[in-house]
Amino acid sequence: MAKLSAKKAAQQVKAQVAKASSPVASAEAAGLGVSAASVAGAVGAPTIDTQRIVAHVKKAGAQSKVATAILSVIAALICALLAAIVIYIIGSGAEKAFDIAFLTKPPSQFRAGGGIGPELFNSFYLLVLTLVISIPLSLGAAIFLVEYAPENWITNAIKTAIEVLSSLPSIVVGLFGFLLFVLQMNWGFSIMSGALALTMFNIPILVRVIQQALEAVPRDQRDAGLALGLTRWETTVHILLPCAMPAIITGVILSAGRVFGEAAALIYTAGQSAPALDFTSFDLSSPSCPWNVWRPAETLAVHIWKINSEGVVPDLTAVSNGTAAILVICILAFNLIARFVGRRLSRKLTAE
Amino acid sequence: MATDSLSNVAASTANISLGEHAATRTSALGEVAIKTEDVGVFYNEKSQALRNVSLTFHRGEVAALIGPSGCGKSTFLRCLNLMNLEIPHCRIVGSIHYHGSDIVNDKINMFDLRKSIGMVFQQPNPFRKSIYDNVALAISRHGMASSKADLDERVERALRAAVLWDEVKDDLNKSAYALSGGQQQRLCIARTLALDPDVLLMDEPCSALDPIATRAIEDTARSIADSGISVIIVTHNMQQAARVSDTTSFFYLGEMVETGPTERIFSNPSDDRLKGYISGQFG
Ligand SMILES: Nc1ncnc2c1ncn2[C@@H]1O[C@H](COP(=O)(O)OP(=O)(O)OP(=O)(O)O)[C@@H](O)[C@H]1O
Ligand SMILES: [Mg+2]
Repeated sequence: MAKLSAKKAAQQVKAQVAKASSPVASAEAAGLGVSAASVAGAVGAPTIDTQRIVAHVKKAGAQSKVATAILSVIAALICALLAAIVIYIIGSGAEKAFDIAFLTKPPSQFRAGGGIGPELFNSFYLLVLTLVISIPLSLGAAIFLVEYAPENWITNAIKTAIEVLSSLPSIVVGLFGFLLFVLQMNWGFSIMSGALALTMFNIPILVRVIQQALEAVPRDQRDAGLALGLTRWETTVHILLPCAMPAIITGVILSAGRVFGEAAALIYTAGQSAPALDFTSFDLSSPSCPWNVWRPAETLAVHIWKINSEGVVPDLTAVSNGTAAILVICILAFNLIARFVGRRLSRKLTAE
Repeated sequence: MATDSLSNVAASTANISLGEHAATRTSALGEVAIKTEDVGVFYNEKSQALRNVSLTFHRGEVAALIGPSGCGKSTFLRCLNLMNLEIPHCRIVGSIHYHGSDIVNDKINMFDLRKSIGMVFQQPNPFRKSIYDNVALAISRHGMASSKADLDERVERALRAAVLWDEVKDDLNKSAYALSGGQQQRLCIARTLALDPDVLLMDEPCSALDPIATRAIEDTARSIADSGISVIIVTHNMQQAARVSDTTSFFYLGEMVETGPTERIFSNPSDDRLKGYISGQFG
């Protein structure tokens, strides 16, 4: 198809050139003895070299075809790789992953047949806590940076700090959390320590996402708000945030996927043990109360790491595969939800 | 309505015809709405973008600001509602008298000021909301509506004043972006009129519009002025200035060179630069 259109373009150019150069041709035919170029220059028309243009169009067509082919192959390879990984992981864990008992039972220490009930709950609980802490902080920081911060070295220092924070390896964040929350604050291995470590890990990404979403709102929307006598805050809350909200929600959900699958930052903060949970208990000081934020809480990702490094149950491969499958399914679900919610919200907020 | 504006446009493009209002209205000057004295603007300490502009604008009049690109028309307009102060490092000097205070030097409430001095921008910039919400947002933020019914009524009144009501009354909940460019611009006008301003600043409001929409905006500007508002309109289009305005001021290289009744400015300009501009030598 590309070949066809390139040919067509070449033909069109030829036709145009033929028209444009006809006065030149007639001048030559009249035997005036001047070169075509100088005549063209004299009448103010650019010199046109038919063959060069045709060659150029052909070359551009060919280049475009090659580039398209290479990019398509790369894209296909990436998709294939992703599909292979996902299918492999889900395929090898499917047997466990779709077994209700596995999803609800606590893990067993020595015998086969343990589940991942507490881990599944812990993962979601930690995620929700992390988001509850990190969304307001990131929103505030991003609004400040985009709408209020003056252009000076302090602002630049803050921006740099956030960038550095976002490139910290998560194990470093985890060890920092261990020192600060677990030892210094004396919170022990706990959901609170884990959630704060994950917050440190999540905030830079969220700030970035929200910053970009706000910056993407056209300047004229701000001007319109301010010119109507709205304060900067009113303009931000009532005009800019609704415009930016779909991008923000998408970003939050995608970052949730990262938080959900994080292991390194949690190993030394939320701990590697999952006490059996008693969902009838609302005694917030009891280690078996699911809502107690001071109890240790192993998540799915940490469970995979632990069972593979020091597990002794006979069915550890099956448990590990099943857990991995659940993790991947959840993260895929986050991504799909992000797309869906982003699109729906965009339509709703903009009344389009 | 569309068809008769079209014929008007056709009639008025032949030569610069004076607006029918211009002759009758200039004699009956309304009270002073806003008055500037020696207003200047610095975007940075080195260069002064605007100097010594002294102009008086009256209620019930349309004032046109003309001049070549970059001469400071928008800069001047943005002084009047202090939008220049939103630009980092921008400084306004001189004084602007409005309702008994000097808005440049006195401590005034900028938000109240912008509520009563509305502004319409060059590109239509409705909010990404429904038509209704575009108009209702600022009304409710300023606490002007006492009830939902009052809000509805104010929205309707503003849309009527901007001559948009009949076109949108059946789908107020549609996105503002589903409107045409000219309708969007009138929505932006409605949005500012909803706050009961007494001055309306328009910065080349028709530059993105076709002749029909342009005529609709001009008619709107005229009817707004007739309701007692001072309308100040920046334009590159001299026919437009002639059609809608009562007074015209000519800006050149950061200065206000000549001002006067529109009729006189176009029929008998005194400054050579203005003569050159009108006869199309530059700009
Ligand atoms: N935000 C700004 N920062 C720095 N200089 C500016 C800014 N806005 C305008 N200027 C300068 O001020 C001068 C006047 O600009 P202004 O926008 O007022 O011109 P204008 O008369 O509105 O022109 P146009 O008809 O093209 O809109 C120009 O030289 C411009 O470069
Ligand atoms: Mg301008």
